[in-house]
Amino acid sequence: MRSSILFIIVLVFGFISCEKEIDIDIPSVKEQLVVEASINQRFASLNYVFINKTIDYFKPDLSLNGFSNANVFITEGSIQGTDTVYNGTRYQFTAISDSLLPGIYVNPLFMGKENTPYALDITMQDGRKVNGKTFIGKAPFIDSLVHWNEIENNDTNAFFWMQWFDGPEQNNYRMALYNNVDSTLFGWGAAQRFYTFDDELLNNTKRPFRTLRGYDYGDTINIFLSSVGRKEFLFWQSFGNAANNGGPFATPVSVSSNVTGAIGSFTGYAIENRRIILR
Amino acid sequence: MRFSMKYWSLLVFLYLFGFNDSFAQTRVTISGYVKDSTTGETLIGATIKVNKTGKGTATNQYGFFSLSLEEGEQTLLVSYIGYESKLLAIKSTNNKNISVALSPVGVKARELVITGERSDKNVRSTEMSRIEISGEKIKSLPVIFGEPDVLKAITLLPGIKSGGEASTGFYVRGGGPDQNLILMDEAVVYNPSHLFGFLSVFNSDAVKNIDIIKGGMPANYGGRLSSILNVNMREGNNQQYKTSGGIGLISSRLTFEGPIQKGKSSFLVSTRRTYIDVLAKPFIPARLAGNSYYFYDMNLKGNVILGEKDRLFISGYFGRDILDYNSPTNRDVYFNFGWGNSTATARWNHIFNSKLFVNTSLIFNRYDLFNDFTFGTSGFNVKSSVQDWNLKSDFTWFAAEKHQVKFGMNYTFHTFQPGILAGAIGSISVNQTINKQFAHEYAAYIMDEWQVNQRITLNLGLRAVAFNLVGPYTQQIFDNDTQLPTGDSKTYKAGESIAFYPRLEPRASGTYLIDEQSSVKASFTQTYQFLHLATTSGAQFPLDLWVPSSQKVKPQLAYQYALGYFRNFKQDAYESSVEVYYKPMLNQIEFKPGAQLFFNQNLENEMVFGQGLSYGAEFFLKKKTGDLTGWFGYTWSRTTRQFDALNNGNSYFFRYDRTHDFSLLLSYQINKKWNANFVFVYGTGNAVTLPVGRYTYRFGVNTQEQKPEFAIVDVYDKVNDYRLPAYHRADISFTYLAKKTDKWESSWNFSIYNIYNRANPYFIYFYPDVELNEVKAFMVYLFPILPSVQWSFKF
Repeated sequence: MRSSILFIIVLVFGFISCEKEIDIDIPSVKEQLVVEASINQRFASLNYVFINKTIDYFKPDLSLNGFSNANVFITEGSIQGTDTVYNGTRYQFTAISDSLLPGIYVNPLFMGKENTPYALDITMQDGRKVNGKTFIGKAPFIDSLVHWNEIENNDTNAFFWMQWFDGPEQNNYRMALYNNVDSTLFGWGAAQRFYTFDDELLNNTKRPFRTLRGYDYGDTINIFLSSVGRKEFLFWQSFGNAANNGGPFATPVSVSSNVTGAIGSFTGYAIENRRIILR
Repeated sequence: MRFSMKYWSLLVFLYLFGFNDSFAQTRVTISGYVKDSTTGETLIGATIKVNKTGKGTATNQYGFFSLSLEEGEQTLLVSYIGYESKLLAIKSTNNKNISVALSPVGVKARELVITGERSDKNVRSTEMSRIEISGEKIKSLPVIFGEPDVLKAITLLPGIKSGGEASTGFYVRGGGPDQNLILMDEAVVYNPSHLFGFLSVFNSDAVKNIDIIKGGMPANYGGRLSSILNVNMREGNNQQYKTSGGIGLISSRLTFEGPIQKGKSSFLVSTRRTYIDVLAKPFIPARLAGNSYYFYDMNLKGNVILGEKDRLFISGYFGRDILDYNSPTNRDVYFNFGWGNSTATARWNHIFNSKLFVNTSLIFNRYDLFNDFTFGTSGFNVKSSVQDWNLKSDFTWFAAEKHQVKFGMNYTFHTFQPGILAGAIGSISVNQTINKQFAHEYAAYIMDEWQVNQRITLNLGLRAVAFNLVGPYTQQIFDNDTQLPTGDSKTYKAGESIAFYPRLEPRASGTYLIDEQSSVKASFTQTYQFLHLATTSGAQFPLDLWVPSSQKVKPQLAYQYALGYFRNFKQDAYESSVEVYYKPMLNQIEFKPGAQLFFNQNLENEMVFGQGLSYGAEFFLKKKTGDLTGWFGYTWSRTTRQFDALNNGNSYFFRYDRTHDFSLLLSYQINKKWNANFVFVYGTGNAVTLPVGRYTYRFGVNTQEQKPEFAIVDVYDKVNDYRLPAYHRADISFTYLAKKTDKWESSWNFSIYNIYNRANPYFIYFYPDVELNEVKAFMVYLFPILPSVQWSFKF
C-alpha cells in the first residue's frame, strides 16, 4: 500500500521533484555469514546451499561473495512420536568450484521427501558454525489452471487463474513464477515474481490465485507453488519487506532468520509445478 | 526542612483570604463580550485593561471576559491585534454586562490610532509556551502552490518542528506527531492532512485563529503529551451577507456567510476542492491514465444569541481524500481508496452571572478509511475507523479580584474499529474482522489563577483522568514464536473492564514580575496519553491506526519542567523570551522493524516499549507594531529515545531531533496597496537510519544469459545514526490589494517558495547498478524554486 501511495505522490509531484547523486560516508559493517539453503522433493536444481557474507554498503563488488571452503551437511530425520530425530542419511554438499557461482554447494544424489524433517550443519574453515532445521511437508495440488487474453491491448495482456485446495491445518505458501525460463533453471533467483502468503483468510477451502499484472501474449509461465513451514514463511515474509524497502517512508527492516550463526534461512519446499503457455 | 502545621494553616488561610473580596474596598464586576464591529464575530484574546491600575484580563475562547473593579469611575482600554483600541469610561456602582465592538484597522488609519497590538500579556500572564496566530496572518504568509496552511504556519514558531516540506506532521519539544492534540472547534482531528500530508485539512478561509500550547499545559487540557493545537473556526458575519473565496494553483475555496437574524444569529459555509486530477492529466503518460486523486472539504458553522446569557454554536467539518485506480492493461481491475474526518460540535455558552461562565459541548468526531478492490469476479472491501462521542463542561469562575478559577469535566466514549474485510474470491466469500475496541475516558479538573501579590501570580491545577478499556471484546491468545493463534481466547462481556488506568496530573505555573517590562516564569506539567498511533513511518498516513491503552500497552507519561525569562521593550512594541525545558517521557511506543500494522489481529505483539528525553532552549523575539513586523525564533534542543529491544538497548537520536532550528518571519507594509512577507528557516537535518552493509540473496542462474541472478538486501546497524543535510530555504510573498470598497474586495498573493532553489532532502535512496558493479546514492528533493499566485475575493 505504501508503495502505491509513493506512486501517487510521485505522480502528483513528479513533474517538479528532482534528484541528484550524492556522496555518503557510511561506516564499515561487521562481517556476518549469510546462508540460503533450499531443499525440495522434486527438482535437483532447487536443492542447494549458498554461503555468502555481508559486505560494506559501497564496496564496489556486487557479485556473489561466496565462501567455497565450508563443510556442508544436510541430514534426513524422522518423527518418532512427539520427537524429531535426525538420524537418517547424512548428505555432504560440495562447492561447485565455479568462478561464476562461488559459494554454491550441491549434492546430485540428494532429493528431499515429503513429510520429512531435515537438519543443516555448516562448519566454516575458521570454525564458525551454522545450524538450521526445516521440514518438507505435503505439496499442494493445483486442480484448475486457465488463462485468457485482453485482446484490446498489444503487449501485456495475458493472464492466468488457478486453484488448489487448502486443508484444515495451518498452511503457508511460497510461490515463484518463471517467465520463459526453460527447464534447465537453477536456483529460485531466476524467477521474476514471488509471493509469500498463509491461509489466514482462506482456510480449509478452495484457494484461488489470479495474476493482476499481465504477461505478454505467448509467454510460457513455469509455476512453482510450494508449501513451507511457519518459520520459513516468516523469514520469506520479512525478506519480502526488506527487499522491497525504499523511498521516503521506508523503515529499516531486518529479516527473521531461522538458522543460527548466520543471517538467512533453511527452507524445505513441498513443490507443485505447472507450466502454461499464454496463447 | 519541615514545615509545621501552623505554617500550613497560615498558608491555607492566606490562600482562602484571597477569595473574599469583603476585606477589600467595595468592588463591582464588569463582564461581557468583545466583538468585531463589522461582522459581529467574537474576538478571542482581546485585552481589557484598567487604565488607573494597569491591571487587566483577556477574553476567553468564546470572547467573554469578566473584570473586578473598584466601585466608581474607571477607564478601560479594550484592545485587539489589528483593531482600533477603544477607551471606555465606566461609572459603575453595580455589576455590569457590556458588549464592546472593535473596528478593524483600515490602511488609512494605520498611522493615526494605537492598535491593539501593544500588550504586556506576554510578561504578566502565567502562560508560557503558548502562541496564538490569527487566520488573517496565516493567509499573508508565503505559500506553496498558492495554498495557505495552518499547520505549516505553526512550524515557523520556536520549539515546533516541521516533519519536512511534504508533511503537515509537526513535532513539539521532542514529541511525536501523535502526541499533539489537534482540535477543530473542540473536536479531535485524528488525521489532519490531505494529500498524504502535503496539506492540512484546515481551510484558511474558515479559520478564525489558532492557539498552540507546547508546554505549561493548564489543567483544562489533557489527553496528549506534547501540545494542544486549537483551531477555532469563524462564526459567520451576523451583520451582512458576504461571499469570499480564493483561486490557487491546485485548489479553490469558496465561503458564504451571513446573518440568519441580523445581529443575533449567523451561518458560515466554506468549501474547498483540489483540481490536481484535472491539472495533472495532460502530464500523465497514457499507461498511468487510470489514476486519479482529489480531495474536498466543507466547514459549516452556525450560531445564535439566545439572550444576554446564552449563546449556541453548531459547527461541523466533512472532508475526504479519494484515490481511484483503473488498470489500463486489465479492464476488470479497479481500486478505490478513500479517507477523511467528520466532526460535529454543539456548544452552549451560558452566563450564570457576571462571575460564572460555562461552556458545555457535545462533540462527535470520526476518522474513516475505506478501500474497495475489485479484480474480475473477486473483490474486497476494507474499512477501519476511530470514533468518539464527547461531552464536556468548562466553568470559569471569576471568584475574586485575585482568583480566577476554572473547573470542569469531560467524558469521551471511544470506538476503535481496526479493520473489517468483506468480499469474495470468485464464489468463495471472505469475511474477517479485527475485533472492535471500546473505551471510556474521563477527566475532571480544577485550576486557580491566583494573584498572590503585585509581583507573583500562580496557576495551580489538578487534573484527574481515568481510562477504561471495556468489553465486549474477545482477546485471542497468540504464540510468540509462530505468531499464530493458539486457539485460546478470553472473552469480556459488554462493559466489563479489560484495563483501567486512573491517574492524577498535577499542573503548576507561576510568574514573578521583575518590573513592568520583564518577568520570570516557571511551569511543571504531568500528562498521560491513552491513545497511540500505530505507524512505522516518520509521516502520518491514512492507513495508520489509533490504538488504545490496554493490559499490555501502558499509558504514555511525560513530565515537563520549563523556566523562562520574558521581557518587552519600547512600550511593549517588542516581545522577547528565553525558555528552557526538560521533558522526560515514559512508556513510549515503537514498532519492531518491518512490523505489519494494517489488519493485524496481534498488533500489540509488534510493539516495543521504551522511554524518551527532550531538553532545549528556545529564544523568541517579536516586533508587533509599525510597518515592519515579524519574529525571529531559535531553538537548541536534544531529543533521544531508549528502547531495550532497539539499537541494542542503547539510547539513540529521535528521528526529528534537531540541534539547531531557526526561523525568521518579516512582514512589511510597503504602501496602502502592497504588503511583503519574507520567511527564512533553517534546521539541522533529520536523524535517519541508513544501511551500513548488504548481501546478495535468493540466488539463481539465468540460463539463457548465463549469469547469476539475485536480490540485494540491506543490513542495518545503529538506529538514526546518520544525519540528512540541513534543511533551509527562504520564501517571499507580495500581497496586492487590488480593490477595497464596502462592497467588493480583491487581492492577489504572489509567492516564491524556496527563492534560492535549495535542494532540501526529501529522502535518500540507493541504486545498485549491477552492470557497473557499484552502488550509487541519490537524494530526492521535492520543491525547487516555485512561484505561485493566488487570487482572493470578498463581496
